[in-house]
Amino acid sequence: MTRSAEDGPLRWARAVGLGLYRSAVLVGVTGVLPAVAVPVSFFGFRFARTWSADLSAPLPVLLLVTAGEVAMTLVWTGAAGWFVVAFLGRPLSRAARWAAGRWLGVTIEPRYNPVLPVTRMATGFWWNGYAYHESEREARRRAGLDARHHDPQLRRDARWLLVAAVTVLPATAAPLACLAAGGYLLARPGGIGYGAALCAAGLAAAPFGWRLLGPLGTRLLGPSPRRLDQRVEELEAIRADLTQNQAAELERIERGLHDGAQARLVALGMSMGAAERLVDRDPDQAKRILAQARTSSAAALAELRALVRGINPPVLAERGLVDAVRALALDAALPVEVRSTLPARPERPVESAVYFAVAELLANAVKHARASRVEIDLDYGERVLTATVTDDGIGGAAPGAGPAPAGTSQPAGTGQPGAGGAGASQPAGTGQPGAGGAGSGLTGSGLAGIERRMAAFGGVLRIDSPAGGPSRITVAVPCALS
Amino acid sequence: MRVVVAEDLFLLRDGLVRLVEAYGHTVVAAVGTGPEALDALRTHRPDVSIVDVRLPPTFSDEGLQAALTARREIPGLPVLILSQHVEQLYARELLADDRGGIGYQLKDRVLDADQFTDALQRVADGGTALDPTVVAKLLGRPARVDPLAALTERERSVLESMAEGLSNAAIAARLFLSEGAISKYTTSIFAKLGIAAADDTNRRVRAVLAYLDGAGS
Repeated sequence: MTRSAEDGPLRWARAVGLGLYRSAVLVGVTGVLPAVAVPVSFFGFRFARTWSADLSAPLPVLLLVTAGEVAMTLVWTGAAGWFVVAFLGRPLSRAARWAAGRWLGVTIEPRYNPVLPVTRMATGFWWNGYAYHESEREARRRAGLDARHHDPQLRRDARWLLVAAVTVLPATAAPLACLAAGGYLLARPGGIGYGAALCAAGLAAAPFGWRLLGPLGTRLLGPSPRRLDQRVEELEAIRADLTQNQAAELERIERGLHDGAQARLVALGMSMGAAERLVDRDPDQAKRILAQARTSSAAALAELRALVRGINPPVLAERGLVDAVRALALDAALPVEVRSTLPARPERPVESAVYFAVAELLANAVKHARASRVEIDLDYGERVLTATVTDDGIGGAAPGAGPAPAGTSQPAGTGQPGAGGAGASQPAGTGQPGAGGAGSGLTGSGLAGIERRMAAFGGVLRIDSPAGGPSRITVAVPCALS
Repeated sequence: MRVVVAEDLFLLRDGLVRLVEAYGHTVVAAVGTGPEALDALRTHRPDVSIVDVRLPPTFSDEGLQAALTARREIPGLPVLILSQHVEQLYARELLADDRGGIGYQLKDRVLDADQFTDALQRVADGGTALDPTVVAKLLGRPARVDPLAALTERERSVLESMAEGLSNAAIAARLFLSEGAISKYTTSIFAKLGIAAADDTNRRVRAVLAYLDGAGS
């Protein structure tokens, strides 16, 4: 009984205190735009008035001049507002999102454009996800700027700042203003009545004003709805990725064949020629050369095998995704359990993409997550194929790309932290040390790479990997199984 | 020996036939597709057969499936599987029936004719001939319940050679030990892995299987 009696006023005091604190924070977050725009328009207009202060002219001309001055002031105000949005729009909106998430439990996921890696297109131009440039340097320099300033989310942020300035700002400033005015009146003789009333009103309003952040935030701070032009932009970025990955892959295969098997076959031919000449004169030497040639042919075979495995793993070709993943699990350096509910084989490209994604996730779990066991689930439902890799490791896996926080300028492609670049784990070599050509040249491998390769199939990568683990990473690809 | 060869690449099939015949065996059938292979295995019941994993018409694991089917119908039918790549998954499937007479080798091994025909002979005799790379993968894996933990370094290497299908004499030659020492090691391996005395060839296969069961996921 006593406790609840005490709880009431205590809780109320707590709510008021929290309300005041939160109001103050929100005033800071939402007040920046008016704090810049209002003085600019006020002093700007006063300054503009000075041009026509001693002008004596007929009334229509004076009216026209005033209109011009107002227009000029509006231009200045607009410019000031633009600067605030361009440079502070992201941090201010992020602060508002943080507040909404922290205080109201409203998670608002914005969709900022990631800074895309610069790609050389077949035409020789450099594509940074937004525009083509002739030089790589220029493309890189513009990539960050374009990502920031051509971001549809920026417009959403600007709208939020404008709306918040006329809604959230007054609502949160009112209790603070009431308290300030009340305090001022209390300190003055004779103002006690009004002062006390104002203070009480301020305190009463404190727990409520800041709550306006909730409904307005969910409406205005979220991602911009995807429109057709944005979808086209996304698809263009995916196409650029695909073109680049394909080119890199072809280059890797070409290099593998050129430096490996092809060179060995040439050497083999030469050895045979030498042995042919020597066979009568010096049979022993000829035998030695032939023995070497045989070793060389075995090495060429081994290299070709590794290369093939990187392009299309034999078990995948022969048995399909499930058994290929099982084979992967058998070859892994730790216990891996594979469960599958796939009713049939998916289409080959999807199958291959999912296989390499799983291979890479498994390699990550082995290499970076310090897991002691891994579970892989392959499921199909509602026309979506999902592959989930769960480990009991240290967690903390994060995508390098995706919704990039403000100010990031790193190229997409950081894998699991503490990994020093999970990008090193290219699919060709996973599960079989020593196999696969070194360095596929795929940019942005690791989790970001998987994410982008999945995007090519309309798939997504979901990461649930709190620091300290365990990690649960899912790739989901829409596809039809017959 | 009467041999069946199932391989889709003409050059390789031809080479295999020559190789086998050069060692004084008879090739009773040389076929190029999975159904043909199954047919040949059923009708000829060869002393040993050489089968490629990947065969037409599907170019998936037709050859392996044909061999497994034939072995289900004709228990212990000796088959040497040849493949461009070796997979634990396939090795486990082949070893799952422990009647022996199983080989699983990388195609590269054909390059060493003596070693290859030796493996072929072992399979024909009802032994095993696993490729060293498969064995390395099978045994190189840390097991959850490791029955190998009880084995000494030397016993382990004997087991590895045994898994490849080598005879005691061959193991002795490889490890530079006497044959008597090897049979002591094998006896202690059987004891440690809990394999009761039975037919000698089977015991050796089962020693490997016992390990696989322990290490299997």
